[in-house]
Amino acid sequence: MTFEEKLKNTAPGDIWAEYCGFLDLSLQEYMEIQERLLMEQIHLMADCALGQRFFEGNVPRSVDEFRRQVPLTSFSDYADILLTKREEMLPGKPVVWLKTTWEGGDTPAKWAPYTEAMLETYKRNILGALLLATSTGRGKFKVRPGAKVLYSLAPMPYATGLFPELIDDEISLQFLPSVREARKLSFGQQARKGYRLAMQSGMNLFFGMSSVLYGTTRSLDTLANSSDRGGFRSFLRMSPRMLWRAARASYRCRRDNTPLRPKDLFALDGFVCVGTDTNLYRDELTEAWGIRPMELAGGTEPSCMGTETWSKNGLVFFPDACFYEFIPEQEMLQSLRDPSYQPRTYLINELVAGQKYELVITVLKGGAFMRYRVGDVYRCLRLKNPQDRLDLPQFEYVDRIPTVIDIAGFTRITEREIQKVIEISCLPVGEWLAAKEYDETGHSYLHIYLELKPDSRQSLILSQKLLQEHFSAYFRFYDGDYGDLKRLLGIDPLKVTMLPSGTIARYEAERGQELFRVGAPQEAILDLLRMCGLEKEE
Amino acid sequence: MDLNERLFIIVPLISLLCNAFLFVAVLSAKKNRLVYAFIAMLGGFTIWCSGSLFMRMMLAPGPDFWYQVSIAGIFLVPVLLYNFIYCFVEVRGQFIRIALFIIWTPLILMNLFNVFITDPHMVVENGERRFVYGISPWIVVPVLLAVATLWGAWRLSVRAVREGRVALSSFRPLIIGTAVMFVGTMTAALPQMVSLPVDTFVCGINAICLYYTLHKKRLVQLQNLFSNGTSYLLSVIFSVLLMQICYDRVEQLCYRFFPGGVYWGLALALFFSLSTVCFYLVIRLLMKNLFVKPQENRQDRLRKFSAAVNKSLALDDILALYRDFLQETVPGKTARIFLLDKQKGEYRAVTSTNASLAMNDVLTLDNPVVKLLRQNGNGIRYSDIQRTRTYRSMWESEKLRFQQLRVCYLLPVICDDELTAITLFSDAGSDEKQAGLRTEQISFLESGAAMLSMALKNATLYQDIQNKANRDAMTGLYNRSYFTEHLRRDFETCSHAEITLLLISFDDFSLYNELYGIQEGDLILKEYGMCLEALVGSRGTVARYGGKEFAVSFPFCTAAVAENCAASMQEWLKAKTAGNGSRPHKFLTFSAGISSYPYSAATADQLLSYANMALFSAKSSGKNKIIVYTPSSPESISIQSSQARRKLVDNCAATIYALTAAIDAKDHYTFNHSKNVAEYASALAAAIPLDADHIEIVRQAGLLHDIGKIGIPESILSKTGKLTDEEYEIMKQHVEGSIAMIKYLPSLDYVIPTAIGHHERWDGKGYPRGLVGEQNPIAARCLVIADSFDAMTSRRSYREAMSVEQALAEIRRNLGTQFDPKLGALFIELVESGKIALQK
Repeated sequence: MTFEEKLKNTAPGDIWAEYCGFLDLSLQEYMEIQERLLMEQIHLMADCALGQRFFEGNVPRSVDEFRRQVPLTSFSDYADILLTKREEMLPGKPVVWLKTTWEGGDTPAKWAPYTEAMLETYKRNILGALLLATSTGRGKFKVRPGAKVLYSLAPMPYATGLFPELIDDEISLQFLPSVREARKLSFGQQARKGYRLAMQSGMNLFFGMSSVLYGTTRSLDTLANSSDRGGFRSFLRMSPRMLWRAARASYRCRRDNTPLRPKDLFALDGFVCVGTDTNLYRDELTEAWGIRPMELAGGTEPSCMGTETWSKNGLVFFPDACFYEFIPEQEMLQSLRDPSYQPRTYLINELVAGQKYELVITVLKGGAFMRYRVGDVYRCLRLKNPQDRLDLPQFEYVDRIPTVIDIAGFTRITEREIQKVIEISCLPVGEWLAAKEYDETGHSYLHIYLELKPDSRQSLILSQKLLQEHFSAYFRFYDGDYGDLKRLLGIDPLKVTMLPSGTIARYEAERGQELFRVGAPQEAILDLLRMCGLEKEE
Repeated sequence: MDLNERLFIIVPLISLLCNAFLFVAVLSAKKNRLVYAFIAMLGGFTIWCSGSLFMRMMLAPGPDFWYQVSIAGIFLVPVLLYNFIYCFVEVRGQFIRIALFIIWTPLILMNLFNVFITDPHMVVENGERRFVYGISPWIVVPVLLAVATLWGAWRLSVRAVREGRVALSSFRPLIIGTAVMFVGTMTAALPQMVSLPVDTFVCGINAICLYYTLHKKRLVQLQNLFSNGTSYLLSVIFSVLLMQICYDRVEQLCYRFFPGGVYWGLALALFFSLSTVCFYLVIRLLMKNLFVKPQENRQDRLRKFSAAVNKSLALDDILALYRDFLQETVPGKTARIFLLDKQKGEYRAVTSTNASLAMNDVLTLDNPVVKLLRQNGNGIRYSDIQRTRTYRSMWESEKLRFQQLRVCYLLPVICDDELTAITLFSDAGSDEKQAGLRTEQISFLESGAAMLSMALKNATLYQDIQNKANRDAMTGLYNRSYFTEHLRRDFETCSHAEITLLLISFDDFSLYNELYGIQEGDLILKEYGMCLEALVGSRGTVARYGGKEFAVSFPFCTAAVAENCAASMQEWLKAKTAGNGSRPHKFLTFSAGISSYPYSAATADQLLSYANMALFSAKSSGKNKIIVYTPSSPESISIQSSQARRKLVDNCAATIYALTAAIDAKDHYTFNHSKNVAEYASALAAAIPLDADHIEIVRQAGLLHDIGKIGIPESILSKTGKLTDEEYEIMKQHVEGSIAMIKYLPSLDYVIPTAIGHHERWDGKGYPRGLVGEQNPIAARCLVIADSFDAMTSRRSYREAMSVEQALAEIRRNLGTQFDPKLGALFIELVESGKIALQK
């Protein structure tokens, strides 16, 4: 029975139990599922070359043995198999391969295999998330077959492109634009076309990246009044309901002298956002759309991993997507300083509320990744939520690990990438530091603090602005995703601050501690600026 | 009476019958709030239909009265329908319901005064009776209220579906019934339909739809209709109907046959009485066949099944009965029965209703479905499992297997809180409409499972007891009596093939027990049994045949298989008893005898007898051997064995002499010493007194106790100075050396416990085993005293000989520490009394 048939023929309580029943699990039941599915994954891994690489002939017989025996891994541990797509070495036959950027890697992209069982789980979980996105309480949801969905996320082979493909067989949602059409469009074109169609016929669900949603929201007034609307002809294309809403909204905005807000035009049943900066934009998005966005957690390697509930104040991880381990913040920092250090991990029932943790996953159902450091940092908000009657820990996405700078969920910049850009720019840059900072509108940007080489003649003529333009051009050249930032969001996410030569070395000598080139703490940067008589802009 | 008029009687009559029928059915059901609401609504419908019918029939007290009854019924329906849905969706808050009752009651009363429908009366036009009435403007009030009431009922339904309290599918008959009634009632007002009794017709349909709704909820069953009362009532109704239809003709017939008119009244009464009786009998028969017979059949089947399973204690028979029961109950489905195997910790498929299916499926104890069934206690549809949280923790392989088996329903068999068996029902075809089990099938199967649970418990208990009786308590292997029986069965099975018997017996096991303790002996027996069972696996049956004997039957195997098996066990035992740094080497071997059919034996008895002979041959020809019985000279083995035994016994003296001569050649002192010790010790043993055999053992042990010194370097043996620690350690090894040598002397192994203990001390500080007090056998304690006495009274290269008095004083001084105080005192007494003389 498809999801749509269930909506028609099954009691809503049963549908809720099937897709969102995991929210009723006790922590002990949750752990039992985790451990049982991990044992399945160990069995699958034991029968393949990839698993034997990590097990070295000793197949773990318990979760503890598994955690003792298998080291923490990164993509480079799998690169030789996954980049060449050697399916015969994997624990399960992949049905699709998904792609993502490999920040700081040897190749620009990394690939993750998805087995049939993984896709089934992904589908079940994403449908659960769909119910939750439209829910106002436990068991109270509003998903309608034929609902119009503005889907403003990257298409296949990126992980976000899997959602429309997977649920196509389950429920007839009307994607704006259609899935087939969206495949032929770039991400930017897809977003614009989708929005135009939504303006014509309305929409019930909105899936998008937080940063894009934010950008769209801010420019809605412009878009609504721009020539892009097609003037009178566009009115003719509008459905009567949208025409009525547009007219009513327009009248009210003029009467009250207020800008046009999305909530004036659309009455959303569900509003889902993904991306790293969701928390920054959330309140403003809620105010603009009249509905609080629900966040999803996931990625290419872990698939759809977690969702918020009806109260939209914390992520709950699905028990059957991955086996989760958590590295406490201090352990994470130590391992970043000393790559040979094996940090301790904790299970989901061993966490402390309020603490930040780096996530380590073992993908279940025949996935390829074992004890894999995704590079995401989460905060454990609470261990249980009596208000929502949840007995499970809830999380908040914090950011990437400090050595990776994620800008608006589009691009991930590492030390290696910045070094590469500096090299190809041929600018006389000596020491440098990079950090993720936020402007007054809440947008994140990359801030590079650099010293020019004192012995170079070029150093005499280079101004801060010139450097910024130079680097911006080279970043756009080197990193396509970075280029999209300017194009889609209209932001230039780079700022350069020149430091007097030798400042960084002096700082490090004084403090007796080497600074991270990427992701140095803000306090250290403030001290550094103070040292050379500069003040940090607020 | 024209057709239209007949319709106006027949249709309401049928509707009335339907309603009355259901009314009776529901009256006999178990009551709850919902059933009461349904009864009330049926009452409303009955009033409506009966009013309409009796009005047409012009029954007393007259059409006006029945008109009022009919209208009251119509007015009651909306509020009673609301009440029914209110109870059906189990909503809270009664305000609106009570308000509706309060509002509708005066409206119904007002209608009695023709406030809404004015001047109702009967007219006869062209011989056709019609009912005409006028409508007052006030009619808007009840119409609007009826619409509002029905709207309220609709809202309740929608909310219940949205909130998941009721499935949409269960509302379907309700919606259809109400819609049909609504449309029918509306169309009745159309001029074209005035001449048709549409309203009463749809009223009957609605009642049936509502009944179906409750039937699906399993609240009322038609079976309840079967009773004498119902049959009487129906036969009366049909008789009246018959009377109304054919009274005229019957009357004419009466006049024809009884022209005088004297008896026609009587004949008429007789005719209708007889027809009533006939109706009664036919109705009763029909109802019985329709409603009761299937139920009776099921109950009968259940009773038979219960009686049959409770009669048997054999598990296989019970399972076969259950399989047949399932085949009869759910013919279109395949049922697989999984039985708990406690030892392996799993549920294993043991039988199926489809004999062509392979029985290799297993459900592990940690399978989430098993856990769910244990918690749930009742059967569960697989589609429902897919909606549970349990489904998330299932392995893909488990899900896949359930899908492949097309499992639709799982039925647990629980006894004393233990899930003893699971029945999986699979859909044979791919027709989705046929998928799953019907509700009555499920309840029937659950009853069957409950009966099975008790029978299974008894059978399992019986099997456990039987198993215990057939098994050896220590090793868990089959015991001798079971094995002998089993061997005969195997032999019969293999009468056209081959079968081999392997008998294994540990060599000198009593010695092993004495040397290393009984616990150690038991342990090796257990481990050996486990290993042998694992090695044999499914190829044969292993039993503990005697105290130190094992037997294995290998059906369909040749002697080579048994020989290989015995050789592997020899390797295992060798590795097991081999010493290493922390563990001393232990001495244990076994001998094995093998015979096979048809190669050597012709019967099961011969198989046993020849294997025994081969085993004996192995024992008597030096032990630690595997001998396959060969048919060439069956007697030769036994003759050879007995001769060999005698020869070996005769050879003992010569062997001892040869060994002591060897010592003499190497170390003359030790040769003399051994002879002296043998004399002293045997004299002491005789004085205790021990029996003659025992004295002989002591003597022989005395002669052999130091033969291990052959292996000690001469430099140590003849050293004049004090031995270093290292040399002393080497010297101490002579005890184990002696044992190692005696062990290979056939028929002399009985001296080992005595010989090995000659350096033990009473206080436990001796070697090699550190035995305390009487842990050291009495013969060995004799040897200890004799050995020390001779050593003290002999001259050595590094010291002079002590006098007898000095030696005795030394013995006396060490009584209770080195020597057994009683034996030591006895020895002193014997020497002092001259019964033991100093040897030269």
